[in-house]
Amino acid sequence: MDSSSFGSSPELQNLLEQEKQRAMVNEMVAKLTSSCWDKCITGTPGSKFSNSEQTCLSNCAQRYLDMSMLIMKRFQSMQ
Amino acid sequence: MNGYGSSSSSSSGSSSSQPNPEVLMDQLKNQLAQAYAEEFLETVRGKCFEKCISKPGSSLSGSESSCVSRCVERYIEATGIISKALFSQQR
Repeated sequence: MDSSSFGSSPELQNLLEQEKQRAMVNEMVAKLTSSCWDKCITGTPGSKFSNSEQTCLSNCAQRYLDMSMLIMKRFQSMQ
Repeated sequence: MNGYGSSSSSSSGSSSSQPNPEVLMDQLKNQLAQAYAEEFLETVRGKCFEKCISKPGSSLSGSESSCVSRCVERYIEATGIISKALFSQQR
């Protein structure tokens, strides 16, 4: 979608930029929720998360961030 | 997502040819919201089918349906936990 053909109004450009960001965030949350769900929720879902499930989900997301940093550094050091 | 008018010159009358920017933005927002919702639904269907309908019978049993509704609630909660963990980093 190039910007010259798609309306020149700045609001529209703003919206698109904003939505692009939001889409990226949404996608990341969705992907992480999916894989952390698979890792952490092993039994059938109860009416409440157990403490360990909750901690696992939260750790899962944060370790993913740590890992991303690690991988990035690793790649940077290869260049 | 294509086929929208290329300029924002607003003309009155027919609603289809050249929507003004505000209408366009609303449409865009709606479509995006709908797309997000659909994707989310599709994921939840997959996850909860896997968890709750392990041996499909001739109809959904009571325990299967209640598993599904718990599963949906938990998945929504999990999404919240994940985004909180990502964006409010209290380690």
